[in-house]
Amino acid sequence: MPNSWGVTKKLRGLNSVQDEESHPLNNTDSGVKSNGHAMEADGNSLDHDTGQINRMLPKEIILRIFSFLDLVALCRCATVCKAWNGLAHDGSIWQDVDLFEFQRDVEGAVIENIARRCGLFLKRLNLRGCQHLSDEALKTFAFYCRNIEVLVLQECRKLTDETCRALSKHSPRLRKLNIDSCALITDKGLAVLADGCTHLETINISWCERISEQGITSLATRCTQLKTFTAKGCPNIKDECLRALGENCIELESVNLNSCADITDQGIKFLAKNCYILEHISLAHCPRLTDDSLVALAHSCPKLKTLEVAGCTEMGDEGFSALCRACRFLQYLDMEECAHISDNTLISIAEFCHSVERLCLSHCELISDEGVQALAQGAAARGGTLKVLEVDNCPSISDASLTALATVTSLQRIDLYDCQGVTKPAVRQLKAKLPHAKVLYYFPPPTPPVAAPTPRQRICRCCVIL
Amino acid sequence: MAGKVRLSSNDNEVFDVDLDVIKLSGTVKNMLDDLGVGEGGDASAGGDDEIIPLPMVTGAILKKVLVWAEFHKNDPVTRDSDDDTSKRTDDIGQWDSEFLKVDQGTLFELILAANYLDMKGLLDVCCKTVANMIKGKSPEEIRRTFNIRNDFTPEEEEAVRKENEWCEDRDQTPR
Repeated sequence: MPNSWGVTKKLRGLNSVQDEESHPLNNTDSGVKSNGHAMEADGNSLDHDTGQINRMLPKEIILRIFSFLDLVALCRCATVCKAWNGLAHDGSIWQDVDLFEFQRDVEGAVIENIARRCGLFLKRLNLRGCQHLSDEALKTFAFYCRNIEVLVLQECRKLTDETCRALSKHSPRLRKLNIDSCALITDKGLAVLADGCTHLETINISWCERISEQGITSLATRCTQLKTFTAKGCPNIKDECLRALGENCIELESVNLNSCADITDQGIKFLAKNCYILEHISLAHCPRLTDDSLVALAHSCPKLKTLEVAGCTEMGDEGFSALCRACRFLQYLDMEECAHISDNTLISIAEFCHSVERLCLSHCELISDEGVQALAQGAAARGGTLKVLEVDNCPSISDASLTALATVTSLQRIDLYDCQGVTKPAVRQLKAKLPHAKVLYYFPPPTPPVAAPTPRQRICRCCVIL
Repeated sequence: MAGKVRLSSNDNEVFDVDLDVIKLSGTVKNMLDDLGVGEGGDASAGGDDEIIPLPMVTGAILKKVLVWAEFHKNDPVTRDSDDDTSKRTDDIGQWDSEFLKVDQGTLFELILAANYLDMKGLLDVCCKTVANMIKGKSPEEIRRTFNIRNDFTPEEEEAVRKENEWCEDRDQTPR
């Protein structure tokens, strides 16, 4: 942030520093006669009624110092003296405001205050969790801060379509918007928003349960530069929504549809068809999806790096094998609870996906030593990109898997909770071989034998009863 | 072999400085470019007697600036990204924080010199040091630290205090 207003450039050279006008603080509040220019000012010889800081440093430098302050310190500086009050209100240091820490305390008046203060300077504002904020506050904000580019309204639960209307009208530069959990916002709001904010690149509408096909279609047709679309837990996001996105927003790089439970393979086919540059997709807990979705991604999205399909219990080896063959840049695969996958999927990963860093196989009960060994051999042979492996609750893997994993020196974390086929000495050996890796495991203590009743001594029977 | 350049301060102190040290100063670098003294070039190409005048800096401060530049001459060039350089002030290195244990007058003169010489690294570390002198203090403590006179009337003070108190409520609760 300090770079953006380029003090160094502004002040470089002789003129600006010698120029009296660049020292508005020299004489303002002190009445002390400044001796020409600041470099000659020997602080110690001058009057101490006002600080050297204001006499010596030009306004731009004090602003630069203020730019390193948090909100609390900045607000305190505003009350130190008149000159600082003016500087602390300078919009250039309020480009980036994060009120997440203040959350509940933030009321409309504060936003209004900040909006006036920052005006056109404000580019990024985080109001996450400011639950008391009303549409009125956001209207004021939008009116004053027309250069806003990044706005986080997550969990500002009172906001409605009115806020969308204000943003549409006043915030044409908005690039990133997060309205996660603003559940009162409807299709109408999203449509109005899309009309005005056509440069949106990132939107998060998670848990906005009222948003459905109509809103998404408007969004997709107006905001065709969309790169990131996040809609976790939106029960009304269905296949037709994905068709609209797939047909219009071909620049999509990241899509998160976690827990949009009604989506089917047809929707993923629509989405994948034109989105060649998709890199991240989360379809976790979309239980209707099958291997067909994976095949569709394999056909269209060769750049895929992240795939989350936890809880997609219908997916199996066939889909993953096709995917691994096609998407060789995969780095992160979350297949938790994909109970149908077997060692064949791991063998495919080992063979084709040489960039995998993180693999989650929790509760994949069919995988066994053969798969883990293939994976480990592949990873070890390539010098290793694999950093995290989660195989907790995989009852078929045994100590042989751990022996194989011990050769993968790149591993940073291995999750072995509840792997009943694994023994303590093998875990110990693994830890010795990979001293830098975090090995997570838990062995319940052996059930203590029933203790024989100890002979009572010096305590009479009635005391024991008591 | 990198060549040397001669710099003179406003009190006519002359310093012979390695090119790879003074390259940290955008201002001097520009002057050298104008004179046709390039990287790895020979300073004598621009004439052995060529002296770069720095009329905005005293010898005492220039000396300190050069000590700083000497220590940091091999630092990787920082990217001008405005995301991660944000508001952190807890990233001042140990050498720098020792180096900047000076009185306020000297610190401010270093800031002005860094600004004039266009040395972003030095400017930022100095500004962060001042910011750290402000952080966590009450307005009265800030005034005392910098010897700033409270020039508000009681009414004005009450008004600005009210305007800014929303930050305070939060700060007093434990995080």
